[in-house]
Amino acid sequence: MTVRMRRLITFMILSALAFPMGAGAVGQGLIIHSVRASSYGQFTRIVFEIETAGPYVLTRAADGRSIQFGSYDGPLVLRTPLPPFRDGLVAGMELRDESGKKIIVVHLDAAAGGVKDFTLRGPDRIVIDIARGAGQAASVLPAAGRPFVIALDPGHGGADIGLVTAQGMEKAATLEIAQAIRKILQADQRFKVILTRDNDQALSHDDRAAAANTAGAAIFVGLHAAPGPRARVYIEDLDDDADEVSAAPVSGDFLGFESGSEQQESIWGRQQAAHMQESAALGKALAHRLGGESAEPVQAPLAGIKAVDAAAAVVEIGMEQNRHKAAEDIAAGIAQYVQQNR
Amino acid sequence: MLIVVSIAMLVIIAVGGGYVWWRMNGGAPQQQIAGPGSMPTSTTAIPSASFTVTVYLPLDGMLAAGSAAVKLEPDTQSQAREALAALWTDPRSAQAAVLKDVKLRALYLDAAGTAYIDLGTTIPQDIRASTGEELLALYALADTVMQNFDEVKRVRFLVNGREAHTLAGHIDLSEKFEKRMDLVKP
Repeated sequence: MTVRMRRLITFMILSALAFPMGAGAVGQGLIIHSVRASSYGQFTRIVFEIETAGPYVLTRAADGRSIQFGSYDGPLVLRTPLPPFRDGLVAGMELRDESGKKIIVVHLDAAAGGVKDFTLRGPDRIVIDIARGAGQAASVLPAAGRPFVIALDPGHGGADIGLVTAQGMEKAATLEIAQAIRKILQADQRFKVILTRDNDQALSHDDRAAAANTAGAAIFVGLHAAPGPRARVYIEDLDDDADEVSAAPVSGDFLGFESGSEQQESIWGRQQAAHMQESAALGKALAHRLGGESAEPVQAPLAGIKAVDAAAAVVEIGMEQNRHKAAEDIAAGIAQYVQQNR
Repeated sequence: MLIVVSIAMLVIIAVGGGYVWWRMNGGAPQQQIAGPGSMPTSTTAIPSASFTVTVYLPLDGMLAAGSAAVKLEPDTQSQAREALAALWTDPRSAQAAVLKDVKLRALYLDAAGTAYIDLGTTIPQDIRASTGEELLALYALADTVMQNFDEVKRVRFLVNGREAHTLAGHIDLSEKFEKRMDLVKP
């Protein structure tokens, strides 16, 4: 560690309250078998899934541009490559050798604010949240000159085949349309399009939302299908009480929440609440393109987009529709939304 | 004079006896007037009496209202259960996605006005439905209960007795459901 390092936490013992561990754990160090990072509107979360619990050290450099994570007692063993992650708060991660001890260095961008850490059980995890600094509000759309990241989410996949009609399986139809939309949108230099799945693969709702959030998507369009010739557009209809939970003030303490607290965990799954207006505008643009000027998006408590940190809508195309035409309409609706909200 | 009084008493006895006999044999039919949104206030059940409820069923991408006569029950919870049972006896429910694959296991009403509708699945495989079909099926149940019983302010769904994330993969069941008349055909 550099001498300019400011020590924010000397060490945190993963006590019996957090991870009940055998006496033998002290001195064994930390074994990390999974590292993942996700972007949310106001913070970035890095999760270290650990095999052997033990005390850890988290420090932040005096200039605030990096944090260092290591084992307090014993070696740090990393059994997975660090993800190549950059999102505007985190500028990257690297494994470094400091005086014979391995540490993980997380480089921070200038927009990064406070850092909180806490532990969760089942599986055992050490979680680091990097908040956006004051005055660094996340913008709904990326700055001029940077591409709009658009996440397309073909519904179903793998064993989850969705509906089966005379026109085929829903999982195949949604993938076909997603790929067609990508082809259309990628002709425009302003757009970068990602698909949550690009093959016949089963994904959870959380996997899909995390993929979009991690990519920094400003727009998320879920794709499903229904019997018949008509398309419909849905946007999230959130429970009012649930919004109150998401709006609850967050503790400013560095150590923040108690290990595994429900307050901390409840953050996940409420990201869409911050985007209701943009989602309504996106839904309207898509509904108009697909169903005419009088068509409106339908509000519904959608399971698939609650955790999406972007303007989001679900399009349900009719299985009897012309898929190429549907893809063109959806791409046009997305482009119209971007044009109107730039 | 005595004769007149005797005749008058005989007439009174005859009329009174006739009235008693007539009442004992059912008397004039009592009209049971009940409609959507009204609930009998009496807690005494009349076994043969019925109660008319409005039921909502998916039809052509919206909910269509209909009515059904259900057995009069002594309390709102039991009456709401009867209303939902009536929804499933409507032949259209056998054609409706999701509804055809689930049955009513139970309905509980708490003091705060939340009705818990516990659905049981009747097919071994996953329920297959589109987003719209799943949405309409759930609101058919929620609106049927909330439209008929003012005491029910909101609905939450359970699946096989437990909290569930979703029924057919699209609609989030962790949310409370409030009345949605915009889904009903005008």
